[in-house]
Amino acid sequence: MMKERSLFRRTGLVLTLAALMLAFAIISVQGSAPSAPPADDASKPRADIIRIDGLKQFGKLERPAVVYLHEKHTQALSKKNKDCATCHLPDKKYMSTKFKRLTDASKKTVMDIYHDNCTACHRQTADAGEKAGPVVCTGCHQDRAVASSWTEIGMDKSLHYRHGKAQENKCEVCHHLYDPAAKKLVYVKGKEDDCRYCHLEKTVDNAISMRMASHAQCIDCHRKRLAENKDAGPATCGGCHDAATQKKIQKVKDVPRLMRGQPDVTIVQAVKRDGQKVAPFTRMSVVPFNHIGHESYNDTCRACHHSSMDACGKCHTLQGSKDGKFVNLQTAMHRVSAQASCLGCHDGFQADKRCAGCHASMPRKDPPELSGCASCHMPKPAAATPETEPKALAAMLLEARKPVTATYADEDIPETVEIKALSKQYEPAKLPHRKIVQTLVKNIKDSKLAGYFHRDLGTVCQGCHHNSPVAKKPPACASCHGQPFDGRNLFKPGLQAAYHLQCMECHKDMGIEKPVATNCTGCHKEKL
Amino acid sequence: MSISRRRFLGWLGAAGVGTTLGRSAHAAGNTQFAGYPDSLGVLFDATRCIGCRKCEEACNKVNELPAPPKPFGDLAVLERKRRTDAKTYTVVNRYENVPGAKGPLYRKIQCNHCLEPACASACFVRAFTKNSNGAVTYDESVCVGCRYCMIACPFEIPTYEYDKAFTPRIMKCTFCYPRLIKGQLPGCVESCPAEALTFGKRRNLLKIARERIGLFPGRYIDHIYGETEMGGTAWLTLSGVPFRELGMREDLGTTSAPELTKGALSVVPVVASMWPVLLTGVYAISQRRDKIAREEKAAAVAEAVAKAQAEAKVKLTEAMARAEKDKKSAIDKEVKKALEEAAKTKAQESAAAPADVPEKKPS
Repeated sequence: MMKERSLFRRTGLVLTLAALMLAFAIISVQGSAPSAPPADDASKPRADIIRIDGLKQFGKLERPAVVYLHEKHTQALSKKNKDCATCHLPDKKYMSTKFKRLTDASKKTVMDIYHDNCTACHRQTADAGEKAGPVVCTGCHQDRAVASSWTEIGMDKSLHYRHGKAQENKCEVCHHLYDPAAKKLVYVKGKEDDCRYCHLEKTVDNAISMRMASHAQCIDCHRKRLAENKDAGPATCGGCHDAATQKKIQKVKDVPRLMRGQPDVTIVQAVKRDGQKVAPFTRMSVVPFNHIGHESYNDTCRACHHSSMDACGKCHTLQGSKDGKFVNLQTAMHRVSAQASCLGCHDGFQADKRCAGCHASMPRKDPPELSGCASCHMPKPAAATPETEPKALAAMLLEARKPVTATYADEDIPETVEIKALSKQYEPAKLPHRKIVQTLVKNIKDSKLAGYFHRDLGTVCQGCHHNSPVAKKPPACASCHGQPFDGRNLFKPGLQAAYHLQCMECHKDMGIEKPVATNCTGCHKEKL
Repeated sequence: MSISRRRFLGWLGAAGVGTTLGRSAHAAGNTQFAGYPDSLGVLFDATRCIGCRKCEEACNKVNELPAPPKPFGDLAVLERKRRTDAKTYTVVNRYENVPGAKGPLYRKIQCNHCLEPACASACFVRAFTKNSNGAVTYDESVCVGCRYCMIACPFEIPTYEYDKAFTPRIMKCTFCYPRLIKGQLPGCVESCPAEALTFGKRRNLLKIARERIGLFPGRYIDHIYGETEMGGTAWLTLSGVPFRELGMREDLGTTSAPELTKGALSVVPVVASMWPVLLTGVYAISQRRDKIAREEKAAAVAEAVAKAQAEAKVKLTEAMARAEKDKKSAIDKEVKKALEEAAKTKAQESAAAPADVPEKKPS
């Protein structure tokens, strides 16, 4: 009797333990399921995410858009020796970028094409006992968050050069214009433009969207060359659009200059328009422009020529025109927030760590400080006559520009400056003044742009010695900054904050980590 | 007569409607309190704060608060998010990995000294005062310890001395009120090495804040936190990242707490003053009715009793009369009978003898 009971108890114990372990196992599996990466490594950012939401054009979507992973499908199909034609029909010249159709006839037809074809293939695959996609509504129609590594890609000088070389400089392979009379694409030598000038974000009239144009033409060519076992570009989403892959694209240094009738140097000015007898007159001194120099500073032509290869003044007239979206020449050149404007681009360089120490604390003024005008708008040299060709004038003016890469002589720059403002609590702070100046000068030395704009020997000093004229011996900080919270000088910090803000903000912007801002004794030695 | 339940509820309903009617007229009044003129404030610029905790240290010192377990120089304290407590009027928190920020960001937390403080509007003993210099101060002598202020404050600032059994107080930043009236700066402002805290008249601080945003549009979010939040606060904040990234509420709206609650709270005096009168009236009316009913009833009873008594008397008299009559007639009858008997006997005798006895008539 006793034996029987103990056996019973033991069995019960074992069973309980087993049940507990099972429960634990289930819980842990359930608990870990969301965090564990699924088999297809969905956690890795991808460049092939397509949101299938084409039905949007027919009204509000009834279900969430399908998050479709393109490469997952091409890989699965390639294993079965199936190619793009499985899903994409051939169009006039290139294969259609749409799924199993050429046009979006109606909501019903488009929806049916997806539902019938997707599920049919998924079913077939599943019937064959292979891993297959979903066949129920929510299997595809769900809000999935997939990390994206998609990055826009475009031709830069290097990539363009490589394409030109591969195509034996036959520009017509890619470049074309639309002839409205003949209603076809033609090639005109010397009229090669950036694709984006005609192929806009969305399809307009005779120009398909940039997305469709590039996918049709680029992929088609790449595929054909791949089929011929020639050196070819990628034909997968990630091949072009993955951020990491893009960085690995081979760069050709010293690309030969791409000629399309552009000047070496020119004068930025309003262009004589049709019907005008003389060029429009501007009262400002002219701006010489080093076109060839700017070609080398930029990766693409469209960095400046955002909508056409014409001169800026063609669309951006003095008063503004419809072609230039009523952005007049002045604004087009000076608008700080526009990347393609002179100031917009030049201003961007101030964000560089080497420059930001001084420039991040300088207020952006729009329009900018008038004292800067003469940096670009140069008075005509004495040798110039009204008959001087603009190009010759530009060359003369550019020649006259002498970048400054130095400041005052070392003996005029105090080696250290003792700041005794907090001497009640600390030993005086010793500012390595000359070292700071030398570092700043070193930072601007290699930049032609910085050289032009730090024109005076004392310009570089003004990073700290601000709001006073350039001078070898600028006023002391304490001559302006005193007690804080002065109601008569609302915007002026007190002396202590003036010092601290200037040092700390410069260090932060230049990425100087030591001394840490909270480490008082890093600058102020403890008073013994 | 007693009042029915239905009638009583009807009265309550009427009373309720009556008390809320005053509200629309109140709301239509174009009154807005935009703060005391020339009141003071502080502008906290989160882009300048370096997280040195000097403000915490100074606050602790000038307010004579108990020393914290870890010294103020220990910046490891910033590892976790803190809030104000009964021994700390102000704390600085660090926010790491904020999108768009170059490094860690800091935010100082203290009482914002609302232009129309929620704590003061919630306090039914008026322990809080919005002073004309901007400071919201607290009077422990009248506080009953209900802690409504702690619930009312949208910034979760007032705290309570839970560890004091007999004299617990609400604890919160005083804007260094005692120092302000002496012409001194608040402790935290005075100690800030980078002028991350700018002290001045609130209207000037708004100018300064706008100037900074205007000169450095890329550095600041184009909003002055506290300019309109909860109807405006004396302490203002500038930031380079969205304020929610610094743990600040962005759902507060621009209406002050008293403005939000005055509709309901304006009813309170009415409820407190009118309802006793009303209910007393209701009671008095019902009492009077009861009294009248009682008197009427008593009168009716008396009348009925009198009537009954009168009736009974009449009946009794009648019965007595009848009884008397019956008695008389019975006697007469008996007498007659006896007389007849006697006559008969006499006749018989007279038959034998002449009848000389006269016949007696009934009365």
